[in-house]
Amino acid sequence: MTAYVIRRMWQMIPTLAGVILLIFFLFNWVGGDPAQVLAGKISNPEQIANIRKQLGVDQPYWYQLWVFVQQVFTFDFGRSWSTNEEVSRILLTRVGPTLTIMVPVLLIETTLAVVFAIMVAYVRGSLTDRTIMVICTTAMSISFLVYIIFGQWLFGFILGWFPVQGWSESYWRNLTNYAPLPIMLAIFVGLAPQLRLYRSFFLEEINQDYVRTARAKGLPEKKVMMKHVLRNALIPILTNVGIYLPSVFVGSFLLEVFFSIPGLGREIVTAVNRSDFPVIKAVTVYLAVLTMFVNLLVDVMYKLVDPRVSFK
Amino acid sequence: MKRPLARLAAILACALVAAGPAGAAVERKVLRMAFRTAETGFDPQRIFDRYSVGICENLFEPLLTYDYLARPVRLVPLTAEAIPVPEEGGTRYTFRIRPGILFADDPAFKGRKRELVARDIEYSIKRFRDPKYASPYEWLFENKIVGLDALAESAKKNGGRLDYDAKVPGLEVRDDYTISFKLTEPDFNFLYVLAMPNVVPVAREVIEAYGDDTMAHPVGTGPFILKDWVRRSKIVLERNPNHRGYELDTSHADPADEWDRRAIDALRGKRLPLLDRVEVYPIEEEQPRFLAFINREHDLLDETPFEFIDQVLPNGRLAPNLARLGVMVFREEQPEITYDVFNIDDPVVGGYTPERVALRRAMVLAHDRDQEIGIVRKGQALPAQSPVPPGIVGFDSAFRATQQDVDPARAKALLDMFGYTDRNGDGWRERPDGRPLAIDYKYNAGNQSNRQLAELWSKSMAAIGIRIEAQAVQFADLLNDKRVGKFQMAGSAWIADYPDAQNFLQLLYGPNTGQSNEARFRLAEFDRLYRRSQAVPDSPERNAIYREMNRLILAYAPWRLGVHRIFNHLQYPWVKGYKKHPILYTNFKYLDLDVAARAAAAR
Repeated sequence: MTAYVIRRMWQMIPTLAGVILLIFFLFNWVGGDPAQVLAGKISNPEQIANIRKQLGVDQPYWYQLWVFVQQVFTFDFGRSWSTNEEVSRILLTRVGPTLTIMVPVLLIETTLAVVFAIMVAYVRGSLTDRTIMVICTTAMSISFLVYIIFGQWLFGFILGWFPVQGWSESYWRNLTNYAPLPIMLAIFVGLAPQLRLYRSFFLEEINQDYVRTARAKGLPEKKVMMKHVLRNALIPILTNVGIYLPSVFVGSFLLEVFFSIPGLGREIVTAVNRSDFPVIKAVTVYLAVLTMFVNLLVDVMYKLVDPRVSFK
Repeated sequence: MKRPLARLAAILACALVAAGPAGAAVERKVLRMAFRTAETGFDPQRIFDRYSVGICENLFEPLLTYDYLARPVRLVPLTAEAIPVPEEGGTRYTFRIRPGILFADDPAFKGRKRELVARDIEYSIKRFRDPKYASPYEWLFENKIVGLDALAESAKKNGGRLDYDAKVPGLEVRDDYTISFKLTEPDFNFLYVLAMPNVVPVAREVIEAYGDDTMAHPVGTGPFILKDWVRRSKIVLERNPNHRGYELDTSHADPADEWDRRAIDALRGKRLPLLDRVEVYPIEEEQPRFLAFINREHDLLDETPFEFIDQVLPNGRLAPNLARLGVMVFREEQPEITYDVFNIDDPVVGGYTPERVALRRAMVLAHDRDQEIGIVRKGQALPAQSPVPPGIVGFDSAFRATQQDVDPARAKALLDMFGYTDRNGDGWRERPDGRPLAIDYKYNAGNQSNRQLAELWSKSMAAIGIRIEAQAVQFADLLNDKRVGKFQMAGSAWIADYPDAQNFLQLLYGPNTGQSNEARFRLAEFDRLYRRSQAVPDSPERNAIYREMNRLILAYAPWRLGVHRIFNHLQYPWVKGYKKHPILYTNFKYLDLDVAARAAAAR
């Protein structure tokens, strides 16, 4: 296993190099010139040149790329171009609120999706199954934005169950007061597609020969489902959760903007709007590294879930 | 058994007494509101966005400011003892600073009280020209103060290091409380510059102590201090204990104005500021900002979002449900203008020849600005008659831009007359030489209403046979394209830095091409009049010059004049002293809160 992990970590280096190159060229070709925005209402070419010099964007491309590589390996992305705040501080202060929302969303949504999926798979073809599938399809057809706008208006304003928006310095106050409504709405949105997907995983397993064998042996249906079907369906579920996991760390821009959550998602969009390259670079690299490590973790977990899997 | 019960009863009784009215502490006055855009920081010489500057208004104090109630706006001294009389033909202004004004406490002062002195003003003005700070308001002090350009030039040669100890002849510090500005040429608007919330003294030791982090450490002489700042999420101000306090000057109030009367009733004779704490939450999305106010989480709603105008002001009147709550609405015609720029250097729409001018004028006539006001702006805008908005010194209320009234029939006739006809019968007009006529219109992709405005241009021009190709571009690219003249038409806007027509008319001054003159309009007569206006103080003579300049703009049509937007600011009745100022953005020092009324409403 150690050899496998080391090999996979070696493979991360070219992937990371690709990410660095992609971000760098996208920013320089597609991104706007930040000096134009930072120069203010009235500026002359000399002032813009001065800002470009201070930001380092007047340097040759190869030099800027080299600086970027150094930043990746020293974890020092300097300061934000728009606010002068240290990028590391931006990441550290914004990731907390994002995780406060996204971790409960991941846990509750996955649990509910697995439970409901196994239940509807168990009664596949019945009226309950069909009704739930119709609800899921309808729910999936509605935009996340509609859920947020309607949910905020209904639960926050009309019913007054939650604050309309806000965030505090207290973790518990956030978790109990400000986070429940965005968490609930995110679960509403995410549950339907997950449920459909996981149901299909379970159905695929239910039709396997080993399930038929288990039933033929006279095992109770509950045991068949929980011990055999669930365990085998966990591999694709784990893969799906693995794909979803990195997004937990970047949050949901829409939720953060609508509920005034000072998280990373909101920060990323602000950075893109302001051509704040240090923040964009740091977040993208952080996300890429995170994705690679999560993928590795998921692959290692396959082994724990299914002993037939071997590291090659 | 009896004893523990007795003890418990005593404890409960004490707790009840402590919680009761006799033991209640005076509730702090905490005002809560939202900004529609996130701030960037609070180093006054390094920022330009309205929201950061709006916070700085409360942390720092310029030499001069504006009377809170007087309309049209009126300068009054703040840290200066008096408004100086221009000397030497409007090229010298000498200020005497009030002794005893203290900066807020900060570790950089090493436990000592720090008084404001003339050197702080000299230092702060020099910061605008320090290449290290790349100040967005550097232009205010370019070619302005004798010797300051030379200092900035020497800094560039010195590896970008500005020598703050070097003497600048135009920044003459005569003693601790006297500073004299010598200008390179007469400027009767210079006092307005010194009233800007960016042109404020900072202490050198603070700036040097915090190095790169000055955005987060604003230390000024203002009535509030920055208590807490979660960037782009929460800004908390608290009353500055070192502040000397103000009193509301009511001598220029209008007794017929209901807002003035209310402010006077609430504030007269009181020592300002009255608020203990202000919490500002940047909320970019309109729904949560609106609902936070309606839900009474916020006391003020600055700039009611256009998408909620029909709920707030159906048929132009405050909605009954809000009126029942005692909500008040302040309608503000902002000192700003939106406009569409023609690139005068462009070979198709530019130029000064009759047929090019006719093309631009025809396009202006055909552009349906009434639809813009009715649909895109939801009726919350006034059609601009000149580049100068109402409320600005030099605004001429009698001036009418009939040349820009919507009249497609006239537009078509004008195009036909100058040879812009459809020669090949494809439904689109060609240029007089027979070449195709298609015009690019660039707009900021990040703004939904700009897309609607671009569509309106396409539709209006299609009605007279002119093809518009709308191009959404990134904001930074749009700025660059306009600066270097890489466009044919583009949307634009300008908000007053100071309340004089010159701040708007400079947008078409020839030498400003490549900077604020996005149209690249270079008309010798206009430039001559502009220079003449600068050498004349506010007077009928100067107004006549401005009128002539406005006529030239209408004649040559480098712009399609847009609108002056109207913003509706809402407040609950427990907010006292409110009156929106056209130049200053926040004015927390003039606000008060009736916390009992707020608590009663919450019940």
